[in-house]
Amino acid sequence: MDVVIECKDVTYSYPLTEKPAIENLSVQIERGKFYGVIGENGAGKTTFCALLRGFCPGFYKGVLKGEVLVEGKKTTEYGGELSAKIGYVFQNPFTQISGVKDTVFEEVAYGLENFGVAPEEIERRVIDVMRMTDIEALAEKNPFDLSGGQMQRVALASVIVLEPDILVIDEPTSQLDPEGTESVFAIIKALKEKHKTIILVEHKIDLIAEYADEVLVFQGGRMIASGDKRDILSDMSLLEKGASLPQVAILGDELRRAGFPLKEIPVTEERAIELISGIMKGGKKDA
Amino acid sequence: MEKSYIEKIQIHKTNKLAALYPSTKLLIVVLYMVCTFIVNTVKVTEYALSLWLIPEFLVVLVLCQASGALKRCLKALKAVALIALIILVVQTFLVPGGRLVWNFGILHIYENGLQTAVSLSFLIMNIAGIFVWLFQTTENKEISRALEDSGMNYKAAYVFTSTLQMIEILGRNSKTIMNAQKARGVETEGNLIVRAKAFFPSLVPLILGAVISSEERVLTLEARGFTMQCEKTHLFNLEKSGIEGTVTVISVLITVLLLAGRIALWML
Repeated sequence: MDVVIECKDVTYSYPLTEKPAIENLSVQIERGKFYGVIGENGAGKTTFCALLRGFCPGFYKGVLKGEVLVEGKKTTEYGGELSAKIGYVFQNPFTQISGVKDTVFEEVAYGLENFGVAPEEIERRVIDVMRMTDIEALAEKNPFDLSGGQMQRVALASVIVLEPDILVIDEPTSQLDPEGTESVFAIIKALKEKHKTIILVEHKIDLIAEYADEVLVFQGGRMIASGDKRDILSDMSLLEKGASLPQVAILGDELRRAGFPLKEIPVTEERAIELISGIMKGGKKDA
Repeated sequence: MEKSYIEKIQIHKTNKLAALYPSTKLLIVVLYMVCTFIVNTVKVTEYALSLWLIPEFLVVLVLCQASGALKRCLKALKAVALIALIILVVQTFLVPGGRLVWNFGILHIYENGLQTAVSLSFLIMNIAGIFVWLFQTTENKEISRALEDSGMNYKAAYVFTSTLQMIEILGRNSKTIMNAQKARGVETEGNLIVRAKAFFPSLVPLILGAVISSEERVLTLEARGFTMQCEKTHLFNLEKSGIEGTVTVISVLITVLLLAGRIALWML
């Protein structure tokens, strides 16, 4: 198992708070896998992401017990170079614009300028990423003149262009319409195909079911479940703990209880269609 | 052949004055302010008024015209002129002291009031005017690049540039908040008192919003390698117009001559 990030019995409290935001967290993140992080608001998902990226305690201060290791080195021992290893996309598209660049091209190129990359290479990489994220038509526009969905794609492009191996993406579609959500997930899908390690916080559980390999479930600052998405998202006991599960999984569970011979609870629509049509075909043959 | 994106973001100005290097422009601004304070000491008429500040302001207008930015500058100067006018009226009628210059009913104009009013309002017009010229002929990224080239820390240069950008953003946000208030039935248009009543409550969400978003922006910068310890690349390159030396010599010469003339006037 190629572990890229490891949390060892991590407990973290923000300054001036008594209750830890994250408690006794131990988890290993494997290279090249896509992790979906789910849980209610205030469950500790964003804090978990901030811990992985070293913003906790690096920026927020507070008290950290245990260790967060990125490629075997503590996050607290990294300086600015952690931004080359872990890309971080935030929830709010409006605050992810640097505020010092006049065009989308310059905005996307900003990180590479900070990394000291040669201008010719910057141009080549930025064009590639703008094509990938479908923002090339916006290249000469002011980033502040864009819509929320366009800004979020610019923010994603600005991080992807740095070519980090690990991407932490915190609710990237929370302020987007269905079309914007779809375009952001198309980019994430493309990143998955490039074997990037992706940690995605998302409330749209159907999308997690479709794209993620593993799911981490948070509640009240604790990770209450983790594992393969098929096992986690079909575990109906999580509903009682406040987690949301895909509609198709809930329907599958109801069908099974009603005696419908489903051999597993499907977590994606595609799988549900496969299973049900398999049963129907089998039924016809029998008839 | 189509230009590359890097070529497209470069600024090529045809007007030599507008294309001056930002530090040369800043020198002109500083020397102009020195000249303004010298001119302010020259008093004319029996009431000892700094009236030479009025023709001096023409220099700003000439500079704006010569830089091909008169229209833009006049637009920005409108707001300054309004403030200067208010100061002129308030100071003229409210500051007592010295001889009585004019009297009509309850309105009195005293010598000291007139002196302060003329001096203060035209000092503001001249100083604000030269800054308007600087900012209307120089883009933010030119200033930022010049600051970094002059050895300023990149963090300080970022703060300076983002502050300039944020003025525009805060303006937009303030309009959004005002529109939201209007949608809730709050009166935002009308006389000065009505506008003030609507404006002050909008300051709290505006400022709080700015503070909250600044925290996230810090993290965004961190995620983009802002604190990386390495030589940074600059895609935008600042060009010189080629007349920086000549302009510097002329500006210094005018200031020195003006100072010498003022000293000579004192001695005579």
